[in-house]
Amino acid sequence: MTESPNRRKEPPRARDARSRGARTTRSALRQQASSYFSHHRKVARDSAHRLWQAPFATLMTWTVMGVALALPVALMLLLASLQGVSSGWESSARITAYLAEGVTLEQAEILQQNLDSDSRVAEVELIDRDTALDEFRSSSGLQDELDYLDDNPLPHTLLVTPGQSSRTANGVQTLVALIERMDGVDQVQVDLGWLQRLNAMTQLLSRAAWALAILLSAAVVLVIGNTVRLSIENRREEILVAKLVGGTDAFVRRPFLYTGAWFGLGGGLVAWVLLQASLWWLSGPVERLAGLYRSDFTLSGLSPGATLALIIAAMLLGWLGAWVAVKRHLDDIDPGEIAGG
Amino acid sequence: MIEFRQVTKRYDSDHTALRQVNFGLERGELAFLTGHSGAGKSTLLKLIMVMERPSAGEVVVGGQVLNRLPRRQVPYIRRHIGVVFQNHQLLFDRSVFDNVAMPLEVMGVPARDIGRRVRAALDKVGLLSKEKMNPLQLSGGEQQRVGIARAVVNKPPVLLADEPTGNLDPQLSADIMGLFAEFSQVGVTVLIASHDIALINNLGRRTLMLDQGRLVSSGGGGHD
Repeated sequence: MTESPNRRKEPPRARDARSRGARTTRSALRQQASSYFSHHRKVARDSAHRLWQAPFATLMTWTVMGVALALPVALMLLLASLQGVSSGWESSARITAYLAEGVTLEQAEILQQNLDSDSRVAEVELIDRDTALDEFRSSSGLQDELDYLDDNPLPHTLLVTPGQSSRTANGVQTLVALIERMDGVDQVQVDLGWLQRLNAMTQLLSRAAWALAILLSAAVVLVIGNTVRLSIENRREEILVAKLVGGTDAFVRRPFLYTGAWFGLGGGLVAWVLLQASLWWLSGPVERLAGLYRSDFTLSGLSPGATLALIIAAMLLGWLGAWVAVKRHLDDIDPGEIAGG
Repeated sequence: MIEFRQVTKRYDSDHTALRQVNFGLERGELAFLTGHSGAGKSTLLKLIMVMERPSAGEVVVGGQVLNRLPRRQVPYIRRHIGVVFQNHQLLFDRSVFDNVAMPLEVMGVPARDIGRRVRAALDKVGLLSKEKMNPLQLSGGEQQRVGIARAVVNKPPVLLADEPTGNLDPQLSADIMGLFAEFSQVGVTVLIASHDIALINNLGRRTLMLDQGRLVSSGGGGHD
């Protein structure tokens, strides 16, 4: 802006030349950028085309990568499904408190009210001994045998549903401890044992899944690295000439990095297909098994977001593998070897 | 345009390829570099291409001292130097056009300009009609001319040639030399390594002669 008064004083031709100069620099920049992107497009297309030209080898690499990626992802999906089961169960966990034998119905009602006023408790249901006996009589099929008893052997019982804030393994345990300390409570039962075992098991499995994921990712990087190394060897002449005519390292690297990313894309897609196929194959038996356990357990598949993440991760791994190979081998190819001694 | 100041290149303790070489080439000058094989011709060309670095002394191309040039700057220097090889280093997996286009692609020239400039270079060497052919289908002389087209397609100020007529008969060699002379007339500095003494003497140009790494003659009005 400060230049404009000066500019007005210049002879028209000089002004013209300068503004033309400014225009050309600007358009040169834009041209540079557009040719940069068009080169990227060209290289991406070209490396995809090269993979297409060796379909068998490409498919093999994709499959190896797909299997290696599908394994840990399958394990993680299974874990996610199991965690769904345990969290569903935690929310429905109820604490059963058996009261001491001498406790009267009135005392039991006071206990119920006390517990109900606790903020950590959602609901308390009192089952008096007579109701309990009736229930037992009808559900156990021991009707006649129970008639021989002179006395009702059952105590009053409180069924405690933990509040929203206490629906965790720890919260339930604190509540159990509290109820156990109350006067007149004989025994407290909560079936948290198997839940904890399941939690411990899913934690162990999730560690194992991560370890497997890391190991297999490393394997994928090495496989792609080796494949790209071979393609570097195949294109040795081209690399030499490109370096000779002033190709930067980035220019020489680019096709191989794209090759790695395409391997990754194919591997990710194969992994997705494998996962969907095994899910479909397993869904019938899983449903039957869950039905037997009266559970609504289902194997969850990959969400669209997770599918995208899987494919992007696979492409990154492929790219990384290619990068390792390129780093190791491109520097070895030096145009100095063209010209003899 | 090219200047060597006391340049020494030692490969091992017992093998010295160049010893204190001094010379300068002006813009538009055409000179021959000659000597027995092993006299250091290729080493001298490699120093200009920054394929090698001097053990001592300075190599200056286009006003830039190459000794201290960082490695990642090297490609940009090479874009200003066209090179022609005896075995022409053409790629046989692509057409003549694509071979010649390589230096432009490396520089990021837009596609529409590439077409125009590649055809101009091919026209210059008389091979415009063969742009779609594979270099394998061409004769030795034609292949060499494709190599020259590739070397000059981005109009470099410096053109190096390493035994460009090594495999060619005298008539073809003379044609090629004629091409180099035309480039020097438009301001390109041309340095041709050759042991074809007869051809060199015919042309009567400045000749740098190497013997066991020493510059024994730089006749024709050189700098030193």
